[in-house]
Amino acid sequence: MKSLLLIASFIFTLSLTSQTPYEKGMNEAFALWEQQKNTEAVQLFERIASVETDNWLPPYYAGLIEIVSSFGLKDEALLNTKLTRAKEFLDNASEISENNPEIMITYALLNTAYIAFDGAKYGMTLSGENVAIYQKALTIAPSNPRVLLGKTEWDMGAAKFFDKSIAPYCEDVERAIVLFNEEEQTVPYYPYSGLERANEISANCKKETSPN
Amino acid sequence: MKTLLFLLLTVLCSNAFSQSTISGKIIDQQGLPIMGASVYLKGTYDGTATSEDGTFTFETTATGLQTLIASSISFETYSKADDVTKLNTITIKLKDDVNTLDAVTVNAGTFNAGDNAKVTALKPLDIVTTAGALGDFVGALQTLPGTSNVAEDGRLFVRGGGAEETQIFVDGMRVFTPYSPSANNIPTRGRLSPFLFKGITFSTGGYSAEYGQALSSVLLLNSINEPQEEKTEISIMTVGLGLGNTQKWKKSSLSLNTSYINLAPYQKLYPDNNEWHKPVESVGGEAVYRYKFNNDGLLKVYGAYSSVDFDLTQEDINVADGIRFGLKNRNLYINSSYQDFLEKDWSIATGISFANDRSEIKYNNSDITDIENSAHLKIAFKKFFSSRYKLNFGAEYFATNFTENFEDSNFEDDYEFDNNIFSSFVETDIFFSKKLATKIGIRGEYSELLQEFNISPRLSLAYKAGSNSQFSLAYGEFFQNPKNDYLKYNSDFTAENTTHYIANYQYVKNKQIFRAEAYYKNYGNLVKYDTPFALPTSTYNNSGSGFAKGLDIFWRDNKSIKNTEYWMSYSYLDTERDYQNYPTSATPDFASKHNASLVVKRWIEDWKSQVGLSYNYASGRSYTDPNKGGFLTEQAKSFNSLNANYAYLISPQKILYLSVSNVLGTKNVNGYQYADQTNTDGLFDRRTITPAADRFFFIGFFWTISDNKDDNQLDNL
Repeated sequence: MKSLLLIASFIFTLSLTSQTPYEKGMNEAFALWEQQKNTEAVQLFERIASVETDNWLPPYYAGLIEIVSSFGLKDEALLNTKLTRAKEFLDNASEISENNPEIMITYALLNTAYIAFDGAKYGMTLSGENVAIYQKALTIAPSNPRVLLGKTEWDMGAAKFFDKSIAPYCEDVERAIVLFNEEEQTVPYYPYSGLERANEISANCKKETSPN
Repeated sequence: MKTLLFLLLTVLCSNAFSQSTISGKIIDQQGLPIMGASVYLKGTYDGTATSEDGTFTFETTATGLQTLIASSISFETYSKADDVTKLNTITIKLKDDVNTLDAVTVNAGTFNAGDNAKVTALKPLDIVTTAGALGDFVGALQTLPGTSNVAEDGRLFVRGGGAEETQIFVDGMRVFTPYSPSANNIPTRGRLSPFLFKGITFSTGGYSAEYGQALSSVLLLNSINEPQEEKTEISIMTVGLGLGNTQKWKKSSLSLNTSYINLAPYQKLYPDNNEWHKPVESVGGEAVYRYKFNNDGLLKVYGAYSSVDFDLTQEDINVADGIRFGLKNRNLYINSSYQDFLEKDWSIATGISFANDRSEIKYNNSDITDIENSAHLKIAFKKFFSSRYKLNFGAEYFATNFTENFEDSNFEDDYEFDNNIFSSFVETDIFFSKKLATKIGIRGEYSELLQEFNISPRLSLAYKAGSNSQFSLAYGEFFQNPKNDYLKYNSDFTAENTTHYIANYQYVKNKQIFRAEAYYKNYGNLVKYDTPFALPTSTYNNSGSGFAKGLDIFWRDNKSIKNTEYWMSYSYLDTERDYQNYPTSATPDFASKHNASLVVKRWIEDWKSQVGLSYNYASGRSYTDPNKGGFLTEQAKSFNSLNANYAYLISPQKILYLSVSNVLGTKNVNGYQYADQTNTDGLFDRRTITPAADRFFFIGFFWTISDNKDDNQLDNL
């Protein structure tokens, strides 16, 4: 009898603390991603997206993983297939959440993946598009640290290319770090990340701009 | 207590019992297992990825009718609705997705340029940064195989065909007068500025039934749908000035471009072998307005106006004082197109283009005024039955009215004709698999002027032999009404025709492209006349014929040498014709047996510069030597030209561009002109026709002003 009670209470508490299927799915997907099981992670995010039809996060992450994992690919056919799929996910996400700066800058990342593959073929059309995306995102969300950081990184790349000082952009990186620290992280699974990257760039800034 | 136990049991049981197992195997069309495919029940979290042997198994709490989805990269997504209990140990065969980059493409005869193509022979920047092309997209296309170098003409000569056998279309609508007029022996340039286009398809034969009235080739240009940003562009060049501005609104955008070209200062510094009374002066303006409708509809209106004036005296062996030639040309071109996606996978494309061209020509003491008004109306529908089966059909109407007034001291006459053609076409694209595809089309054309109806069948087939290689075949019949030069004097003609047979092999791997294409063309019903020139008094008929056969080879490599891209083309052409006033079948003087070109571009990071070189070779063209008798039996010397260009990015928005054509100053020969009368030794004297100038220099400074500090006019060069 005692054991029975124990089991009963155990089951009871389990169901109290147990996660919703959404949370369980998301946690599992993030775990897969962390283990570099990209295909499985994308597939799980895709499944979650098929249930959570009014939540932009699952398709957003599915797209993001496809993009991130396509950097460094050598096969253009595969790159194209992956990025086309990524774009479908992002289109899906932005249909749910219009003018979302996080999704917008992910589109810019998608373009960057193409440009990184073949600058001569894709650079001309896509780099201009990227600048336009960052500008629009910045007007919508002037204090979004990821938007600011993304735009600054893009501008820095151009400045470096022309042997110009990156110092003015370093100030923007510092501003982004402040914004990161001020950001209230209230929405579960929201892509708040980016502070680490900002710190890295900031360190780099200090190295490059220090007089020696 | 009993109740509790009972409750617990039911909870546990219901948990255990409502679990169903979904399992099975996923294979491809060859029966091989697909690893890593995603399998799940739609609208649930339940699913998994297939293992190495293609099998999958997962549990679900869902009950009743459910939809199982199976998807994998480069396969079509599969779905099956059934009761969950029946969804175990099933075998799913996924079909290849024929829309992926590695699927077969029906491409015999066709080169694609631009970033929208699966296999890109020329990239967007190539159109304008090819050394020697001088910013003219036609110049860049002349580095592709299948074209003949006719240095003194500048137009496209494709596979033994004359320049008028190539038609140019913008957004599906015909461009009636695509080239700027120029004097004899001076190459012309395309009127359209290259940076308005994002995709170029250049077909050297066997093209789609959607296009007609072109015996040899079609050049399809797609204009930009949406400019990226607002900007102002300023160009200062050795030959003139340019100013452009783009404005964007929420749903629409407007781009304006103006240019002023005056060759007077250049010709003062570097005189050529012509005596210019008025060096070339041209003023041009272009405007593109684009409007996006709420649905996917897109309206584009392109308008261009240009005026070209010049006057010169050119050497002539029969006229001591030379021949005076003056021209005033005014050209207006409007092209509007609308495209939209309709319900049930239908789409529509419609448009109208209109051209008004007026030339006042002074030829010695004669005054000639030509006025051409042309219009093209078109409507086409597309239906996507599936990714494997598409249908495309439409109708179009071409109307041309041409008038000429000829006047000299003792003669005056007017010539006029209306050349109206109604045509319709239907074409289908079928993918049998990822490896085998076909395009079958038929086109019907009725010419009001010639009062005849012609049917042209078109067929292409492509087979992917390996992961990197494919074979294609194409066949087609092509008709074209005789050119204006004849129609103005005579209309009792039948359409000229040609039949194309093409076999193509293509190998594409990691930024390397190899292409070889063999072809045979058979010409019939070519126009013949019986006088030295086409005259109102000539007798005309359609008894001419001819053939062209050859091999085109293309190799492009963007991989082997870092920061360097190069491509090589070689064309072998064997052609003869009996047309115009030819007494016998002969190789026309615009066709050279061997054509080769090499283009190299290198980006030098430390200098922020792109250096380009191109080399063109064409074997000698035929000419007639009256001292030896015979007709077009002699061969002139071969053509050689090494061109160089250099683009320096001063800052992200300022570019300095230098270009020199024929750096080595090779003395090329465009042909010979023989005297009408023999000299005292009983021989016909001759004059060598050389290019107006051996070299051409171009220096330009291009400045872009926009909010976006990275944008520049590199794509305009």
